[in-house]
Amino acid sequence: MHRRPSINTNWRRALQGLLLSGLAGALTACEQPPLTPNGVIAVFGGVGLGPGAFSYPRAVTAEPAGSLFVVDKSGRIQRFSPQGEFETGWTMPQTKQGKPVGLSVAPDGRIFVADTHYHRVIVFDRDGIQLDAFATKESGSKETQLPTDVDVDDDGFIYVSEYQGDDRITKWSPDGQFVAALGEGPIEGVPLRRPAAIDFDRQQTLWVADACNHRIVRLSREGEILAVFGGFGDEPGHFRYPYDITVTPQDTIMVCEYGGNRLQWLSKDGRSLRVWGDAGRATGQLFAPWGATYGQNGDVYVVDSLNSRIQVIRP
Amino acid sequence: MSLLALALPFSFDRPMWLWLGLLIPLLILASLRSLAGLEFMRRTMALFIRSMLVLLVACCLARVEHVQRNDDLTVIYLMDRSHSVQELQNRQEAFVHQASDNIPDEDRVGLIDFARDAFLQQLPTRGGYYISPGRLPAMPNTDRTNVAAGMRLAMAMFPHDTAKRIVLMSDGNDNMGDLLAEARRARADGIPVDVVPLDYQHRNEIYFDRLIAPTHAEPGEQVAIRMVINSQRPASGTIILQHNGRLVAIPDRQARVELRPGDNTFYMKLSVDDPGSHVFEATFRPDDESMDATARNNTGSTFTFVAGTSHALLITADPDFDAAFVDALRSENVKVAVKTTDQLGEFGLLQMMNYATIILSNVPAAALTDKQQEELALYVKDMGSGLIMLGGDEGYGAGGWIGSPVEEVMPVSFEIKHKRVIPRGALALIIHSCEIARGNFWGKEMAKKSVDTISSQDYIGVLAYSWSPGGENWEVPLDLNTNKAAVKNKIDKMQIGDMPDFGTTMQMAYRGLVSGKGRDAAQKHVIILSDGDASPPLPRLISQYKKAKITVSTIAIGWGGHVMASTMQSISRATGGKFYQARNPRQLPQIFTKESKVVRRPLIVDEPFQPQLLHSYSEILAGIDPTSDALPPLGGMIMTSPKQNPNVIVPIIRATDDGEDPVLAHWQYELGKTVAFTSGYWPVWGRQWTQWPKFAKLWAQIVRWTMRQDAPANFDTYTKIDGNSGRIVIDALDKDASYLNLLQLRTSVIGPDNQPVPVEFIQTGPGHYEAQVPIDKAGQYLANVRAIDASGRSMGTLRTGLSAPFSPEYRDLMPNEALLRQVVDETDGRWLDMPAKDADVFSHDLPPTEARRPAWEWVLAWLLLPMFLLDVAVRRLASWLAFSIAVELVVLVFLLIGLDIIHTNILGVFGAFLLAELIGWMIRFRYIGPLFDYMTHTVTALGRAGERSTASLDKLKSKKDEVRSDLDGEKDRTGKVSTGEETLDPLGPIPLANAKQRFDVGDAKASKPSADLADALGGAAPNRPPAKPDRPPAQEDQGDDQETTSRLLRAKRRAKRKEDNGS
Repeated sequence: MHRRPSINTNWRRALQGLLLSGLAGALTACEQPPLTPNGVIAVFGGVGLGPGAFSYPRAVTAEPAGSLFVVDKSGRIQRFSPQGEFETGWTMPQTKQGKPVGLSVAPDGRIFVADTHYHRVIVFDRDGIQLDAFATKESGSKETQLPTDVDVDDDGFIYVSEYQGDDRITKWSPDGQFVAALGEGPIEGVPLRRPAAIDFDRQQTLWVADACNHRIVRLSREGEILAVFGGFGDEPGHFRYPYDITVTPQDTIMVCEYGGNRLQWLSKDGRSLRVWGDAGRATGQLFAPWGATYGQNGDVYVVDSLNSRIQVIRP
Repeated sequence: MSLLALALPFSFDRPMWLWLGLLIPLLILASLRSLAGLEFMRRTMALFIRSMLVLLVACCLARVEHVQRNDDLTVIYLMDRSHSVQELQNRQEAFVHQASDNIPDEDRVGLIDFARDAFLQQLPTRGGYYISPGRLPAMPNTDRTNVAAGMRLAMAMFPHDTAKRIVLMSDGNDNMGDLLAEARRARADGIPVDVVPLDYQHRNEIYFDRLIAPTHAEPGEQVAIRMVINSQRPASGTIILQHNGRLVAIPDRQARVELRPGDNTFYMKLSVDDPGSHVFEATFRPDDESMDATARNNTGSTFTFVAGTSHALLITADPDFDAAFVDALRSENVKVAVKTTDQLGEFGLLQMMNYATIILSNVPAAALTDKQQEELALYVKDMGSGLIMLGGDEGYGAGGWIGSPVEEVMPVSFEIKHKRVIPRGALALIIHSCEIARGNFWGKEMAKKSVDTISSQDYIGVLAYSWSPGGENWEVPLDLNTNKAAVKNKIDKMQIGDMPDFGTTMQMAYRGLVSGKGRDAAQKHVIILSDGDASPPLPRLISQYKKAKITVSTIAIGWGGHVMASTMQSISRATGGKFYQARNPRQLPQIFTKESKVVRRPLIVDEPFQPQLLHSYSEILAGIDPTSDALPPLGGMIMTSPKQNPNVIVPIIRATDDGEDPVLAHWQYELGKTVAFTSGYWPVWGRQWTQWPKFAKLWAQIVRWTMRQDAPANFDTYTKIDGNSGRIVIDALDKDASYLNLLQLRTSVIGPDNQPVPVEFIQTGPGHYEAQVPIDKAGQYLANVRAIDASGRSMGTLRTGLSAPFSPEYRDLMPNEALLRQVVDETDGRWLDMPAKDADVFSHDLPPTEARRPAWEWVLAWLLLPMFLLDVAVRRLASWLAFSIAVELVVLVFLLIGLDIIHTNILGVFGAFLLAELIGWMIRFRYIGPLFDYMTHTVTALGRAGERSTASLDKLKSKKDEVRSDLDGEKDRTGKVSTGEETLDPLGPIPLANAKQRFDVGDAKASKPSADLADALGGAAPNRPPAKPDRPPAQEDQGDDQETTSRLLRAKRRAKRKEDNGS
């Protein structure tokens, strides 16, 4: 595969080599800008089916060691280092009916995936070995219910948010036996409508993103309603389809708004502390984000779904 | 010369002008004298610059062009993915991967795969081939090999600034497009096509080569069916024959056949009784399936037209409703067949052609597929047949026919165009289709279908979840459907997002229909298209819908994947709408047509009226006397508007206070005739009509008027399919068996895609006419040929057609190496073999590409003008400093030009600046050195002069003392005191020159710096000979003056003489 050197290349080399060899070093030692705009410190992903690329990612979770797990609409779960380097990945056992929209890391490090369209929860280890699975439709639940998110409390009980007509949170024993249903019936006059995400705080109360009512509901582990706040709107303290909720290391809450294209931090009494992001494709902007989580060093990883990327923010 | 041309980044559009360069030696000779006054270096530079000026002017006139040469290479692989080589895809992918390993950095690789169509899978990209094996998307329509399409796409995809190469991987069994024409284009573009032949051989293959039957037959005739089956090896099997879709019982001895290698021909005779088209289909089933590589090519089909009397076909949803109508027609000897809408099935154009006219009685549009509707329109327009539409609650606009192809051929528009106040309908669409493959495409298409189906007097709005800002919106605000194009344009721009819940959009639709623009609509309807995984609405909202009598129909889409049907089912059930589960997109148009017409119920006039006869001269009303034959009243009708066309005749109307509605209208549209009767629905609306004595006569007359006039020309026809083209041959003889020459044979062939293709018959012999038909799809091709003789008289029509049961792709048994070799020869390509390691796909043996830009303007502005200035500077700038700056500027401009050509960076510019400075300073050193010398020399000289002055003063002082002592002695002798002047007097007056010389130390060297300084700073003629110290300056000046004066005088005299001679 012989290749003749380009004439132009020779000219350029000769001229530059003759005149400029002494200047090259001085001009190359420039520093990179420390941060991308709007507090974003890194962006990774991109559209694709290869390792490290996404096809409409819809949920993220982080393990205490710092690794991230992202599930996308191709039905793949990928593990990344906190720096966004691809570590490993696997595909859900079945994907024809639909793909998962929620996953969580249990205190013991196991990965719980809400396999939405197969009405079940699948448990993996951090390398993708399937450890367990239980069907959420088999007992105590309507057949057509779609699990959206799963979380595990300190006692090992598993909580699954479900929607499609009989929207509620179901509680399962550590071995996958149905225990109770939470959040059924009207809450301030309106039943839950698409509880899209759940998360436990340090006090072991459950925070629910009630997406189609555009509000946040706080429940005790027994189902007692502790707080309700929010409502549809763009002003702080209101939401447009909150699709994810995360308790922050500061014991406040962070809400990811799918319709509002932003993150919102709130105190536990519903007071908006900060709003971040707007709609768009540029770095620092979001396009239909489905989820966000806190990772190592207190950095926030946002699933920028329609941009098929993860943005890392240092709040 | 060519090497030089390759090395230089320039070329010339008109190189003849470069001969001007020959002027340079002449110019040098001429300039030697005129520049004789300059010192050697300046003269040399001036000559050089003048030569350059001539050269640059020559370049400008020769239209110098900047040529950017690039020997980077782009290789585009063309991968054949047609059926014949589908098993070789892995080998092709492996070849691409191996051949693209370790390609040079700047080279690019692209990949296009093709079968019937070509697709770009990888844009020409640096670094290699990135698609992992097995990850190429599925290829649609593998039933054809269209290498030409792949070549065309490749040539369009090449970057313009690299060398180009196509690597074609194929078996060469090209059966669509013109490969060799594309190869010639590639050659013209300098693109070689290397060929990697895909080798295979199907040793066990049987295919049905031809099924032949006569094109025309008489009723009751026994037609001979000839079957030609090709086999590679001896085999046995069974022949199965179908006639018009029904299995024909064949005796075993005929059905069981033994095949020898090669073509095997079998005959059979079948009786054809009914007039119309008879389709024969024969299939060979081998006993041992391993003897046959593919079963797709085991069927042959053909058809025969049997002449007969004209029939009409009545299509109805309920035959009982039309019983009286059919009886009336039959009583008038009109042959009518009746089909219900359920019996239509595969009712296509070929079957339609069995009837001379078709009557649609209260048939909704959704009963016919889009394809059948198109064929019905072609049946009228191109085949010259008739169509009658009778009304009813499912007819015309109320039946969803608005915007259909059938509306185009009817004499009335199904819209209410005039300003009539009629109850309106309102339709809100909720589209949530983004989660399905091509879901949004179908969502938009169906929304547009609804826009077409409903009237422009109705309201329509489209709701969807839009991404930014994330939320539900009226993507098309609920408003009148007046400007359908604008509404469809808005639909096309929709960005349909993933809707979280039905509640919000349903709430918005409710508000729009109850309190928004749709509030005055008499009929309100909502259609939801979704995969069902959005959150269901609250029961409270469903109750509101029920109360407001808004129906909601839901259409679940998922194409067999996951669909959450339960929520959608419950919504439609609760609101009185319908639920549909669409398993494939093809079902959607009918569903949308059916659902959209719900809002068109206001078009039905369900009240008795007295129809009025308007045009008794209408040919279809012959025999109906408006004075004596009062038309019976009708019980209802569908509102339409007559088309604004002079051919449209509306003989019967319904007159009301605010306008007239057509009841009966007719016209001829292209070759066919159509009639619209907007009433009908006989037991309900037209009972009195069916009892009217003239009912039968009137309708028999109408039906006969529309019937296709089959006057078969008595010609022989023969058809044959060969690869991707078909041939129709007509032998025209009159009844005396004389050839009919110079006939005009006009037809359009309607293929499986319902696109009429005009074909041209060429007379190739006495009475012998031939036409070529492109065959690019499997299916039936029909033609209705009209024969017109030389005097313009119609000689009747002739039905013919071809049947292509399977693509030629399925009969390829081995590669077509000859064609591939031809491509290689045509394009100067190479024959590559499969192991990719030996294939040097990226060899740089192609000429580099050249991108040319005109540069003469630039040369003029940036080189020629500075050169002029430099020329002046060299001769006129006395100062070396100024001269050096001028040179420096010119050098800088030259270098920057050079750098611009090679596209350097800022470092290059900086380097050019440095180099120019270096040259400038080298010139300036010539000036600075002598200046330095002068200054140092002067200071030394002054120092020495000072010392000598001191010595002189001392000397003078001692002399003075000496004189004084002499004077004192003399004074003492004379007794007088003298002044100082007087003291000096004895020395006499001192001349100025001498005064200067007073301080002259008498050192000859001291005068030299002075001469150099003048030379450096002031000498416009620095070459003047050094002043001779012994020659008085005044004399020298005088001499020069005299010499100049005498020269001038001589020149003047010469000029005078010349002038005198001249005169």
